[in-house]
Amino acid sequence: MGDRKRVLLRFGAVLLLALSVTVAGCSGGNTKGTDAGTTNNAGGSEVGPEQPFEISVFLGEAGQQPTADNKIYKKIKDELGVTFKFEFLAGDKNQKLGVMIAGADYPDMITADTKLTAAGAVIPLEDIIEQHAPNLKKHFEKYWNQMKDPNDGHIYYLPNYGAYNSEVSDTYYSGPAFWIQKAVLKEFNYPTPKTLDEYFELIAKYKEKYPTIDGQPTIGFEILNYDWKNWGLLNPPQHLIGHPNDGGVVVNDGVGEIFADKDYAKDYYQKLNEVNAQGLLDKEAFTQNYDQYMAKLSSGAVLGMFDQHWNFGSAVDSLKTQDKLERTYVGLPLVYDLSTKDYYRDRPSLNLNNGFGITVNAKDPVKIIKVLDKLIEEDWQKLLTWGVEGEDYQVNEEGRFIKTQEQRDNASDATWKLANKADAYYGTAPKIEGYFSDGNATAASNQPEEYQASLKPFDKEVLDAYGFNSYVDFFSPPPENPIYYPAWSVDLVEGSPAKIANTKLNELSTKYLPKAILATTTEFEATWKEYVSEIQKLDIKAYEDRINEVLKWRIDNWTVK
Amino acid sequence: MEEIVTEARPLKPPVKRQRRRWSWNTVKEQRQLIYMSVPLLAYIILFAYVPVWGWTMAFQDYKPARSFGEQTWVGFKHFQFLFTDDNFMRVLRNTLAMSIINLVLGFATAIILALLLNEIKKTFWKRTVQTISYLPHFLSWIIVTGIVATSLASDGIINDLLMKLNLIDKPIIWLSEGKYFWGVVGASHVWKEVGWNTIIYLAAMSSIDPALYEAADIDGANRYHKMWSITLPGIRPTIVILLIMSIGHILEAGFEVQYLLGNGLIVDWSETIDIFVLKYGIAQGNYSLATAGGIFKTFVSITMLLLANWTAKRLGEERLL
Repeated sequence: MGDRKRVLLRFGAVLLLALSVTVAGCSGGNTKGTDAGTTNNAGGSEVGPEQPFEISVFLGEAGQQPTADNKIYKKIKDELGVTFKFEFLAGDKNQKLGVMIAGADYPDMITADTKLTAAGAVIPLEDIIEQHAPNLKKHFEKYWNQMKDPNDGHIYYLPNYGAYNSEVSDTYYSGPAFWIQKAVLKEFNYPTPKTLDEYFELIAKYKEKYPTIDGQPTIGFEILNYDWKNWGLLNPPQHLIGHPNDGGVVVNDGVGEIFADKDYAKDYYQKLNEVNAQGLLDKEAFTQNYDQYMAKLSSGAVLGMFDQHWNFGSAVDSLKTQDKLERTYVGLPLVYDLSTKDYYRDRPSLNLNNGFGITVNAKDPVKIIKVLDKLIEEDWQKLLTWGVEGEDYQVNEEGRFIKTQEQRDNASDATWKLANKADAYYGTAPKIEGYFSDGNATAASNQPEEYQASLKPFDKEVLDAYGFNSYVDFFSPPPENPIYYPAWSVDLVEGSPAKIANTKLNELSTKYLPKAILATTTEFEATWKEYVSEIQKLDIKAYEDRINEVLKWRIDNWTVK
Repeated sequence: MEEIVTEARPLKPPVKRQRRRWSWNTVKEQRQLIYMSVPLLAYIILFAYVPVWGWTMAFQDYKPARSFGEQTWVGFKHFQFLFTDDNFMRVLRNTLAMSIINLVLGFATAIILALLLNEIKKTFWKRTVQTISYLPHFLSWIIVTGIVATSLASDGIINDLLMKLNLIDKPIIWLSEGKYFWGVVGASHVWKEVGWNTIIYLAAMSSIDPALYEAADIDGANRYHKMWSITLPGIRPTIVILLIMSIGHILEAGFEVQYLLGNGLIVDWSETIDIFVLKYGIAQGNYSLATAGGIFKTFVSITMLLLANWTAKRLGEERLL
């Protein structure tokens, strides 16, 4: 009998143990947050090779792992003892982050997203920066107030772009525009299309003359409408009426309103409807994904599209590698009519809700901030942008940085970059922009003599034909930014009526706009009406109110007193 | 040989159910069995019952990284959002439609293929066909959708084929027309799963008493008669059980296919409950809504399962519970 009792007891104990393990497992995720919060200021040993330190990083963009023997990361490891373990996004960003948050399963460092802030996944950085990161503090000094989260006044992310130390003369434009192949401009003796009509006229004429390019059918105009990369479809109307990129709203006198249902938006989509009827629009435009889009651009068969320059950079690199320079693109700031002044190009503004944050799971946030602080020192920045002196660039007698043609070719070769550049880190990290203290530009493309020297004969020919110094000269010089600019970086707050309205508006646009564009000319009107009436059913007011609330907050808090 | 035949069990053993009175004596007698069941019981409690606690999330405005006491309770708000949303009925319709198409097509094709395979006399051919037809089962959906998208592209194999056969004069952009989408999904399901689904039917067919076929031969039945009157009734219990089990999954029309093949143009036909919940639940950080969606699906599943089971019982068929 005694035996039996003991056996029963043991079973009971095992059962209880198993239960308690699960219960502990369930609650584990919840307690972590507070743990990390309290240990914030503990730890933080010095950065150096004698103390190896691994930082796991999640990047919210698809990308390729650097090679194992990448020379820049090797240097960082040898001199600072730091290794980065990157995880790149595969698939949908929202979904990945949602799963991460549900499981409280974060890496040490993560690219910014308002979802993470809302979930309490990232730690406030202002105190540890003040205490441990003098370089970062100095770097962001001017921008300190702007970096604060409007909801609670903490700094959660270190913006990756937009913190300039001086005015820059841009030679590279990375923003939105209507792009057109240089070959088209050359064919018609370098005209300067200024309006939408002129633009599509050129494309139509070229396509008629060359129905195929390198054996592939010529695609007149391409639109990317995939996942969150849908600005190719949604954003053009605001630019066509002479406004800068404010995301889903047009801001007048500090007050924003959506433009999706306005008549000037209708004009654009009606034009696209005509363009489609002419057979200029890619038939598969609305069913393609980002990879297919990039493949089409890289083939050189696409004459034009509306996009942000940075979004198709790798397609341009590919065209350059294939020696199809005439198939690369020029950005044009199109407007509806000549009385409107183009406002595509803007002054650099702080890239809010972008860059790295440190998560609550990071064991030693102080050390991470020290690493970031170290890497923003000029020597490291030079290594990250220009590369290794003597290998990737030379310094001439006047102390100017200059590259040889081979070094320039390398810098646009994607495979070479994986082994010799630390772009995975650098793209999201805080960086010095403008000029180094020795007067060299922080980016090779902004070094004036380097830019001129790097121009291929074909590009020189194009620029000479227009009498321009760089392709940026197609755009009007940007006026001073409004204080609240840009409205697209407003955090709508997850799950709020504003966010739901925005999601629904997005959904309606991705559904109805393709329909309207592909419809016959007579059906267009009906589809558009239906679209507008569907929009009116949404809680657009909640969305606009939230935007305007933050814009007002910015005007109140960002104004330099 | 002789002995085995005589000792074969009759199809339905006439066991009379006796209600045994429950007593401590029974427990004592069967204690080894009880011990043996403890790990399984623990497993089920841990992984099937404890997580049901998470359903409380559906009635809160759940925020991660907050303790249970700190959550705000909102009652049926999320269910209300779910059921009153304009898109919900559409999404439900798509889910049911695609699910039923998959169910009917899946059953019909698998049973027909199994019947045909069963008639093949040469083992080599039978095996070859079987292997080829079930290989796609081992591909993941993401690969299959890639294959489907490529085949359906304007220069894909389907359009090429139709053009060569002069059935159409210009390529059809299959994935831009909502009316084709359900068909595309159904066809991809059949392509991927038909071979795999035949396995269980073939197994059921192999247990049919050969004497029945011999008897039918003597009575002068041809192949079709035998298929219809012996093979099909022989696998009927299997079909019914599988049907009951799949009806429980009526709201699982699949997620990957619709998610990966869908686009703005055909969203009215492609969006399923799972995608809806992903878009407004998980992607918005609104886990409560996602949970509410899950609860709804579970309730429908259990109801349908019980209903199917009850119907089967009324019809005097084999049943699950």
